[in-house]
Amino acid sequence: MKILILNGNPDASDTGLDDYIAELGTQLAESGNDAELVTLREKKIRPCTGCFGCWIKTPGTCSIPDDAIELAGRYLAADVVILASPLVNGYLSSLLKNAIDRNIPIIHPYLEAVDGEVHHLKRYDRYPEIGILLQREPSTDEEDIEIVTDLFKRMIINMRTTLKFLEFTDKPAPEVAHAVNIH
Amino acid sequence: MQLTFINGSPRGAKGNTARLMDNFVRGFLETPGASCAVEYVAKHRTDLAGLKKIFYASENVIIGFPLYVDAMPGSVKEFLDVLIPPPQGAAVPALGFMSQCGFPETGHLRFVERYLEKYTKRLGASYLGSIMKGGGEGLHMQPKFLVDKFENGLHSLGKKFGETGRLDKDDLDRFAYPEQLTPEQIGGLLPYVNTRLWDEWMKENGALERSFDRPYRQ
Ligand SMILES: Cc1cc2nc3c(=O)[nH]c(=O)nc-3n(C[C@H](O)[C@H](O)[C@H](O)COP(=O)(O)O)c2cc1C
Repeated sequence: MKILILNGNPDASDTGLDDYIAELGTQLAESGNDAELVTLREKKIRPCTGCFGCWIKTPGTCSIPDDAIELAGRYLAADVVILASPLVNGYLSSLLKNAIDRNIPIIHPYLEAVDGEVHHLKRYDRYPEIGILLQREPSTDEEDIEIVTDLFKRMIINMRTTLKFLEFTDKPAPEVAHAVNIH
Repeated sequence: MQLTFINGSPRGAKGNTARLMDNFVRGFLETPGASCAVEYVAKHRTDLAGLKKIFYASENVIIGFPLYVDAMPGSVKEFLDVLIPPPQGAAVPALGFMSQCGFPETGHLRFVERYLEKYTKRLGASYLGSIMKGGGEGLHMQPKFLVDKFENGLHSLGKKFGETGRLDKDDLDRFAYPEQLTPEQIGGLLPYVNTRLWDEWMKENGALERSFDRPYRQ
């Protein structure tokens, strides 16, 4: 499988998540996958400006010329995308959220009903499944986990795909690699 | 009563959040002694520390933003993250939120709302409540009587907030209608939005024939 791991750790001096992801990448490669790792803080990805250029001017391509353009291609080419982030005040890092916001060119502006609610139409036939990998913060409690899990479930519906797993970095990397490998 | 409204729409004063905010603030200012300052996250992006100072110098703050992929825009998360921890010895303002989204049902906003309430607790602030409303993008294509109803609703929420210092839960629920739509309502609405909103915008940009382009190879 082609696996893309997006590392949303904003803090280069806190190596916990980076080290974990490196180990996960090795595990995934050893079990026969093509695993690619992108460290978002090393990329230039500006926040979405809400211009809708990606839907009404150049359908399918964002109007801001930076690294998000190429990242959308890598996202679409993957079978599984792992979104990795430390929890920051109970949600993902702004670094990763900005990258997710910039990914809306891959869907179509038209509306359609999905499970009784309004959502957007697909632009492509298939989208990668999503895995979520989170690092707890000292204050993380059960309520935070419920809230953040629900926010991801909602996001997955809007990205017109399915959630493969949601795990925390307290689980050993080989077990998370296993969760990626099972179909 | 003093209020700082911090508008987190990347579109700033030209956005739909601003339209909600303007009507709310207009109502708020009708109470004698009420004062309101408006700030934009987008203008402070390179100076979030400055916006943090303004936040902690306020008595009451409402943070407004459009829903982006089911939560706050990444640029608003950047701002929320600089507010924690509060500066040493600072009084924490009472905090509320206002959010609207493109999809017509307010139900889409209820998940981030839970986050916002928890965030307020993390900050150690008292929670004023969240003004939530679906259908923010389609506003300009709605008939006048619906736009009036929408704007009057915000005006009275703002007025009551000025008078009482509170956002009443029943008022918020009433304003939020519709929480969900029936399949019939959705079926009636979608063709209209797709052709009257999106097709028109694409036509204006000469992009309608390229509507379904797939610039990335799979
Ligand atoms: C990147 C992006 C993501 C969005 N995600 C959602 C969403 O998940 N649900 C929704 O109902 N609307 C979504 N919208 C639509 C906006 O919430 C809507 O256009 C809003 O009215 C914009 O407000 P503003 O003009 O104040 O920025 C999204 C828009 C953009 C640009």
